[in-house]
Amino acid sequence: MTVTAGLGFRTQHFDEAMACVADGLWFEVHAENYMVEGGPRLAALDALRDRHPVALHAVGLSIASAEGPDLAHLKRLARLVDRVRPLAVSDHLAWQRWSGVHYADFLPFPRTWGALDRVADNVALVQDVIGTRLLVENPSLYVDLPGHDISEIEFLGALASRTGCGLLVDVNNIFVSAMNLGFNAAAYVDRIPAEFIGEVHLAGYAKDADPASPLIIDSHDQPVSIAVWELYHRLITRVGLRPTLIERDDNIPSFGELMAERNRAHRILTAADLIGIDRALL
Amino acid sequence: MLAFQRRFGAALAMSADPDVRLMDGALARALAVHRNTSTKAARDALAANYPVVRALCGDGAFDGCAAAYVRSHPSREARLNAFGEDFDTFLRGYEPARGVAYLPDIARLERLLTESLFAADAEPAGAAQIAQMIAVGALPHLHPATRFESFSSPAVSIVLAHQALDEAAFGAIGWTPEDALITRPVDGIRSAVAAPGALAFLQACKAGADLSAAVMAADQAGADFSVLLPPLIEAGAFASTSPARNC
Repeated sequence: MTVTAGLGFRTQHFDEAMACVADGLWFEVHAENYMVEGGPRLAALDALRDRHPVALHAVGLSIASAEGPDLAHLKRLARLVDRVRPLAVSDHLAWQRWSGVHYADFLPFPRTWGALDRVADNVALVQDVIGTRLLVENPSLYVDLPGHDISEIEFLGALASRTGCGLLVDVNNIFVSAMNLGFNAAAYVDRIPAEFIGEVHLAGYAKDADPASPLIIDSHDQPVSIAVWELYHRLITRVGLRPTLIERDDNIPSFGELMAERNRAHRILTAADLIGIDRALL
Repeated sequence: MLAFQRRFGAALAMSADPDVRLMDGALARALAVHRNTSTKAARDALAANYPVVRALCGDGAFDGCAAAYVRSHPSREARLNAFGEDFDTFLRGYEPARGVAYLPDIARLERLLTESLFAADAEPAGAAQIAQMIAVGALPHLHPATRFESFSSPAVSIVLAHQALDEAAFGAIGWTPEDALITRPVDGIRSAVAAPGALAFLQACKAGADLSAAVMAADQAGADFSVLLPPLIEAGAFASTSPARNC
């Protein structure tokens, strides 16, 4: 089966997910939710994995940090990778740990050459411990920090070249960052090196709850916006089929509503794949 | 990188932020977004792990309580699914909840439910296996998901009535102390009021005492272990073998 478009797995949708026979369907889970010793949730993941391909999306490796990843946490991820044999393993170009506290968000940092060395070391360590390639995701940005030496795309490309990691392109994060920082999202999409892209994420955003704030927030609580669908179409038309996920983590609708969004991505991917085949035949 | 993280992390950790307001406007707004997102994730995790405490408090009061807990007990690790380890202790000193003396008991019981949910897998032992163990003088192994504790309030009845959304059951609760037994048989997590003396026996099993000491502990608590045992076996309190650790 060619893997096309997938959904973030929600336990309340377990029965429908198990019964679904959609072509190319796969699921993704937050790895940290399954780093437990046992019990019914891990059993549900085992059952899901036996039925559909499953990817692991980590949210706490803190790879863009001056301190290296937490080894105990990495070993838990490695055990889960062994258990699930995932389609892909990913985390974000961001940090979460500071002074012993874990901030459950994706924090920014100045993209200096020194930072590139440090992040490359961290990614290499992650890949050594889990024994497979990591996909690194572009985060949503809310401020244009001073002190960058290189652009995000250059940073991610250099990271992939040095470590062998792949990229997880979150199109909504590109749109959110572009709106908040004032750059051209389409130009960004056009410049991502296609050869490194292993997976794509699509999600919805929301306006900042503070009425005085001009920011939009990567909230994962809305359907994918029209602007993000347009950017996605642009990306896939250029790079071809890439496993694509509809991410929804809050304000969860029915399985059917999520599948409607997933099917839209599936249609875009299969159309791009057909064009690719035509080109190959010519 | 380290210097930046030190400054950004310190600004992020501040709850009242006079210095942050003096920062560049765009940076202060971004810090507010990151602070909101990370604390919301922790508050949501706490709400998910303590649904009965939340129902008893009401959403508004729980949100205030959760925000105070997240400030004083921020997560130390990336796994938020078990967040709230010290919530019952926190509630004992949380001034706005002083009038609800049984609330920390409910939080403690919900914590035991979370521990049970994520504990290692093992095959529950049946009556024949337990009989074999006892025949050779061996003490049964507790199932890794078995939890038990004595409460001075009817914590189990309150949690069960809330889980069943049963107003009548809630009204019928007698205000007596209860011993809680939480088990994870194959069909899910089960909480029940344990029989008198059962906890003394289970405690002896947990401590690795020998069989005669466990029987004596039950006896001293006024219970006959041969009567205690069948419902404990039926609830899945024991494992057929010692579990292997997975994680």
